[in-house]
Amino acid sequence: MTPPVLDIRDLGISFGGLKAVDQVSFSAERHRITTVIGPNGAGKSTLFNLISGAIKPQRGQVLIDGVDMTGAAPNRTKAAGLSRSFQITNLFFELTVAENLRLAAQVLEPAGRAFLPVRRSERAMAKTAQMLERFGLTHRRDEIAGNLSHGDQRRLEIAVCLASEPKILLLDEPTQGMSHGDTEDTAKLVRNLTEDVTVLLIEHDIGLVMDLSDHVVVMHQGRKLAEGPPKVVRADPAVQAAYFGHH
Amino acid sequence: MRDRLTTSMRASHVLALIFVVAALCLAAFGAATGDTFYLRLGTEALIFAGLALSVDLLLGYSGALSLGQALYFGIGAYVSALTLMKVPSFWLAMGAAFLVTLAAAIIGGLIANRVRGVYFALITFGLAQVFAKVVYNTRELGASDGMIGVPVIQIGLGPFSVSAASPAGFFLVVLGIIMGLYALTAYLLDTPFGRVLTALKANEKRVPFLGYSVWRARMAAYVFAGLVAGLSGALYPMLRGFVSPELMFFATSGNAVISVILGGVGTLIGAIYGSVLLVILKSIIGSWTEHHLIVIGLLFMACVMFLPKGMVGFVRPRIERLLGREPAAPEPAPPSSATIKSGSAA
Amino acid sequence: MSPIDYLQFVLAPQVVNGLALGVAVVLVALGLTIIFGMLDVINMSHGEFYAIGAYVALAMGAAGIGFWFLLVLVPILMVPLGMAAERLLIRPVFDSKDRHVTTLLVTFGLALIVEDVLKVIFGPNTQRPPTPIPGATDLFGIIVPNYRLFLIAVGALIVAGVAYVVYRTRLGAMVRAAAFDRNMAASLGVPVSLVYAGTFAFGVGLAGLAGVLLAPIYSVFPTMGRDFILLAFTVVIVGGMGSIWGAVVAGLLLTQVQALASLVISPVWTDPIVFGTMVAFLVFRPQGLFGRLGHA
Repeated sequence: MTPPVLDIRDLGISFGGLKAVDQVSFSAERHRITTVIGPNGAGKSTLFNLISGAIKPQRGQVLIDGVDMTGAAPNRTKAAGLSRSFQITNLFFELTVAENLRLAAQVLEPAGRAFLPVRRSERAMAKTAQMLERFGLTHRRDEIAGNLSHGDQRRLEIAVCLASEPKILLLDEPTQGMSHGDTEDTAKLVRNLTEDVTVLLIEHDIGLVMDLSDHVVVMHQGRKLAEGPPKVVRADPAVQAAYFGHH
Repeated sequence: MRDRLTTSMRASHVLALIFVVAALCLAAFGAATGDTFYLRLGTEALIFAGLALSVDLLLGYSGALSLGQALYFGIGAYVSALTLMKVPSFWLAMGAAFLVTLAAAIIGGLIANRVRGVYFALITFGLAQVFAKVVYNTRELGASDGMIGVPVIQIGLGPFSVSAASPAGFFLVVLGIIMGLYALTAYLLDTPFGRVLTALKANEKRVPFLGYSVWRARMAAYVFAGLVAGLSGALYPMLRGFVSPELMFFATSGNAVISVILGGVGTLIGAIYGSVLLVILKSIIGSWTEHHLIVIGLLFMACVMFLPKGMVGFVRPRIERLLGREPAAPEPAPPSSATIKSGSAA
Repeated sequence: MSPIDYLQFVLAPQVVNGLALGVAVVLVALGLTIIFGMLDVINMSHGEFYAIGAYVALAMGAAGIGFWFLLVLVPILMVPLGMAAERLLIRPVFDSKDRHVTTLLVTFGLALIVEDVLKVIFGPNTQRPPTPIPGATDLFGIIVPNYRLFLIAVGALIVAGVAYVVYRTRLGAMVRAAAFDRNMAASLGVPVSLVYAGTFAFGVGLAGLAGVLLAPIYSVFPTMGRDFILLAFTVVIVGGMGSIWGAVVAGLLLTQVQALASLVISPVWTDPIVFGTMVAFLVFRPQGLFGRLGHA
């Protein structure tokens, strides 16, 4: 039996007595979309920071493909196949769209290419072109990333994460601040991602969550409140009270 | 497929070529008229251009302002002088300077790279000042007087041999080395390795999430910059026959920063043009007043405030457009070029 | 030499001299840390403002104006200078992408100019104003120049006064609010732009005051600002950028380290020891003794 691609066990951290993430355990199934939901301040983004290595957890374990990566620095979790996006767009704003993607894709090149001119990095260049095409950014490839519209920046953020061909993709509110049309497009995009990767998602749009997710984890005040298929979770009275009750 | 950073680097190369041609003209003219003064001055400008190059690599590409880059320049100069006084061999002096600067830059990098931003600027400043003061007070290194009596050497270049005392000959050797360092730096910045350094400047926080170690990239940039400064410094005692603690003090580091700002941050070739401009300014203004710092200070402030990309930053976009037009003719003009054009309507 | 003699003739005078130097450094660092803490600006020309203060005092003293009057007059004269520098040089680049580096560079340019201007006006030679308070006092067998005792006392008063203004008055609260969140402060009716200019000018005035006070001890010459600036920056970093108490504690501590270390080792190595302390702080406690990083 192969281990789950991402396995979270008893993960926890507190900031000055406040338990931001407390004993959270779940695992993400390969090529499925697992969504973490919960009200603001439930600890979702902190959870992502713990998994990706941005913050070291105080308790618990993070296993990627069965390998313990607890507390490993972001460049090491990245090397283990985990890629993440940010709630607040986090790009190389002074660089072009193509260069943003090429930088992410150049990890695919053999180490020896690191000291050859970038135009010799054929694989990274091909990947960049493929990502531009897939995310509809080809006509903007030489534009400075900072000049893109918000929607295009959010799309580029996902594309950058995907350009390094990760096994696991952590998406932190990918549709944040998007127009309705853009949100629809992004949802379609995320659904198609599962052909290549396992997706762990933070999302606020409940309609979208129900529509997209294979598995839902509900967080409340740092703890895991419930998990299961979307319909089961939605019907859970505790979730209704803690989460949907607020809306 | 065209890459914007590759294009701008090519534009820098065009300016580098113009520079080399101009320098060769000066060398030919100088040799023909038997000039010593201007060729020596030009050689000194080139040597300090190497120091400025290392400052621009850090400030313009990896985004770290070093206020103490003269430390490595001075270490290179002292090591070269000490070696030459024992064994008058060009290659041995360069090799020794390389190794010692490498070790020094690794130690310095371990200290300075613990912090970033303004703290990095202050710590590099302090590192150089403290080390310079120690040299200033060490009798074995000549203390405040420095060391004089570095012998004139013969530089063996395969079948040829050039004397460091020959103004035009040594000028050409230095030109070759400094432009070689420029070419090497430019080459590295256009590789995947170098692009990670530019990513540091653009958004350091994002870099680890792409799978690169920020610390390693910063160390690599710092050590490489230290080597460029050290190798340039190693040429100094060959030209002047002496070294002094002034080579390490803040004034020297400061001049390199001024050169980079005048020439253009993040253009590489700007550092070299800036150094030459600084030397020209100093000797022109210096010929009628000793208070040249007022003029240079004003010019420097004006550049920081109104011309943040310096002289080269002003010229280079035009060259980029000329270069960019060649391969992809049918491409529609990007919207940004319109604003650049309207801004520079001449 | 008996231990008692050592204490009286070597150790104690060294401690007292170190204390005077410590107060001097704190006075220079005070303006620096305020400008950094409130405006987030690294003022590389701070040492030159200190030199201007010393030269103005020297010139006016030569013209017959008394020292006590200068103590008040010079800082006041520095204020418009500080205001102008803030308006013309800092303000235009205040919102640039990398404020720290840009403001550092602009003030570095200003330092170059000021140094040369001082040379043009006053000449390159070292000058020394007469000591305003001559004589020395015998303190338990330690002979201390009166002016140094005065400096220590006045320094303590100035620090207390500045801390009172910054932490205890409405004006200080306004300044701190503007430093913490510019937009929030503006919406509460704080005249942010005036507060910024005023804070910078206040820091510059303090540098000028330090110039008046220290000129009789450390002499006056065009590059005098450079001598103190590294130590002052060290103090600001160790104390925590923007922290007044941090600057005081770090200033006194580091100068004592320097004074006492020079008893046991060659004075050449005291600078590396002080600098090593700064490096250690940056590595192990980057927020400094008291301060917090990047609050603005």
